[in-house]
Amino acid sequence: MEALFGITGKGFVLTASDTTMARSIVIMKHGEDKSRVLNKNTLMMYTGEAGDTVQFAEYVQRNVQLYGIRNGVPLSAHATASYTRRELAKALRTRNPYHVNLLIAGTDPKTETPELYWLDHMASMVKMPFAAQGYASYFCMSTMDRYWKPDMTLEEAKALMQKCIDELKIRFIASLPQFTIKIVDKDGIRDVQL
Amino acid sequence: MSGYDSALTVFSPDGHLFQVEYALEAVRKGTCAVGVRGKDVVVLGVEKKTVAKLQDPRTIRKITMLDDHVCLTFAGLQADARVLINKARIECQSHRLTVEDPVSVEYITRYIAGVQQKYTQSGGVRPFGISTLIIGFDADKVPKLYQTDPSGIYSSWKAASIGRSAKTVREFLEKNHKDDMDRDDTIKLAIRSLLEIVQTGAKNIEIAVMGNDSVLRTLDASEVEAVTALIEKENAAEAEKKNKKKGDASAAAGESSSAS
Amino acid sequence: MLDLSFLPSGRGGAVTDLPDDQDDAQTFAMDAAAFSHPSFVLPSVADPVAWMKHQMSDAAENRIKMAKGTTTLAFKFKDGIIVAVDSRATGGTYIASQSVKKIIEINPYLLGTMAGGAADCSYWERELGRRCRVYELRNKERISVAAASKLLSNMVYAYKGMGLSMGTMVVGWDKTGPALFYVDSDGQRLKGDLFSVGSGSTFAYGVLDSGYHCNLSIEEAIDLGRRSIYHATFRDAASGGSVLIYHVRQDGWQVISRTDVTELHYQYAEEPRPSLL
Repeated sequence: MEALFGITGKGFVLTASDTTMARSIVIMKHGEDKSRVLNKNTLMMYTGEAGDTVQFAEYVQRNVQLYGIRNGVPLSAHATASYTRRELAKALRTRNPYHVNLLIAGTDPKTETPELYWLDHMASMVKMPFAAQGYASYFCMSTMDRYWKPDMTLEEAKALMQKCIDELKIRFIASLPQFTIKIVDKDGIRDVQL
Repeated sequence: MSGYDSALTVFSPDGHLFQVEYALEAVRKGTCAVGVRGKDVVVLGVEKKTVAKLQDPRTIRKITMLDDHVCLTFAGLQADARVLINKARIECQSHRLTVEDPVSVEYITRYIAGVQQKYTQSGGVRPFGISTLIIGFDADKVPKLYQTDPSGIYSSWKAASIGRSAKTVREFLEKNHKDDMDRDDTIKLAIRSLLEIVQTGAKNIEIAVMGNDSVLRTLDASEVEAVTALIEKENAAEAEKKNKKKGDASAAAGESSSAS
Repeated sequence: MLDLSFLPSGRGGAVTDLPDDQDDAQTFAMDAAAFSHPSFVLPSVADPVAWMKHQMSDAAENRIKMAKGTTTLAFKFKDGIIVAVDSRATGGTYIASQSVKKIIEINPYLLGTMAGGAADCSYWERELGRRCRVYELRNKERISVAAASKLLSNMVYAYKGMGLSMGTMVVGWDKTGPALFYVDSDGQRLKGDLFSVGSGSTFAYGVLDSGYHCNLSIEEAIDLGRRSIYHATFRDAASGGSVLIYHVRQDGWQVISRTDVTELHYQYAEEPRPSLL
């Protein structure tokens, strides 16, 4: 029932993740941030099996940090996504694979190129201009197909994100009352309001 | 050869571990490094070897970050340091992974000293030929400075020196260190102490400063140059004053003698 | 090439074979890595997780049924944290005990609650207490609640899918103030202001959520905790016995009360219902 979104625009990626943590029929928590900052310009959002998600995301986060401090250069979004995919693929072929679905959003601080990667628990990785994870993708991929265009401004991206969230409110059976919206650009990662 | 100073770290009959002592000797041969704690700042200063004409100076770095808020420098074998730094960096991230918080400066010092100690008591290895100075800030925003040595000892200092002529520098620091120094005074003391033994001056000194925002800043060559120039000017003024005083005194003595 | 094999993932605390000799266990405890996972011997089958899953399913010849039922809750308010639990232990339809202590005193400033398997909760929280003490001795300061709860979740995560059953709240006061974490045997770990765990948790939430706000006085908070547990024991057959309440403050935890729910039932029945408007 979880939902993640990512939309690339001119020089940024706009991301949204729902904040509900549920266990069976009970909502244990509102307001959980389902993302980890991998480095200054890369954000990982996750959904999936309880426990696996945070364990995997933090494992990747610490290794990406380690890479940065060892080499004096941060790992690029593409390299991060490839590394993450590899880790998922390795785990998939062991007795306990990680059941985690991810979006990785990054913006190269020098070229200001936004990048968005979609990864699932079977270790597929696709680079996309916009993406959604979970049931939300059944409702909102078409919305984004219809409205997304290259080099959108932040205002346009926010409007599109709002459309997606509104669509979930209308058609999706589960209530997702709150989303955390973030922007990933050359200056780093910040919370924004729609 | 007595046999107690060859391959293995074993005690000599009078209780020495020669391999560890030789490692300390390697440290004493290394370039000098100092650390100075101020009121809300901590400074590392190192003596840089002059690079060969065709060598890229950027590839030689003696001051390295272990994590976002902890920084290390060393004296001794650079190659050994790299291995130790690598282990420490992994521990920093591992600590964050297991207890969420970043390492405290003391924790990572203890870890590094622990690794160094392990290499004095295991088979088939030799001790690390380095001493380290570790600086940083914990959540309490108090500057920290620690030292480790090849035997695995670690200790906290207000100001410390390791490497070549460390004793001279330490004595200088003992004479001149004051508590609650501000940023400029702390940097100045670090440079002054290094100038005691670095004859070639600013071009062979590298300075890194960490304020209580935990951001490390390496001073530009020009900044070090400026401080060095200031120190030289002060020294010259001091010397002149002394000379003048001496002159006055002798003049006074001359007068009195003539009076008698 | 990114070779990151030295930074271990959470997996791999469990061992599938007996250690070669008993000395290993000794050195393990003394090792610098005393924070790595304790290793239990697992069933010697190819895939312990799948095997366990089968044993607990309908298809198994002798199905292992996890019999459990509980109501526990904890919430933050302006004067600390209230922890309240029931005291019933059940095995299927059988009430095994009415006087179980479901609040585990990890140390004088850390509490854990017990829901799910009683043995799993008490074992792992005791192990957590040991680690917290070791941490304290090594680092000369008390462990944060965040770190303690993370240690617990890392430990149980290593045994994910192998039959552990634990839903606990780790509660305490550290440098950052009062802290409350939910940790379960899936490896889930959540920081929050208000949690309830167990079969009666939905009933407890029903009373707790409607009466909760941050500015409760201590008396009001204690009363809210007690009532929430009482109402859960009234509706949930697997919860009952008495209500045990602890209050966590800056100087550590304090036992507030232990009251039989029957007593509460008649006491509350006498009282008029509160005004809704």
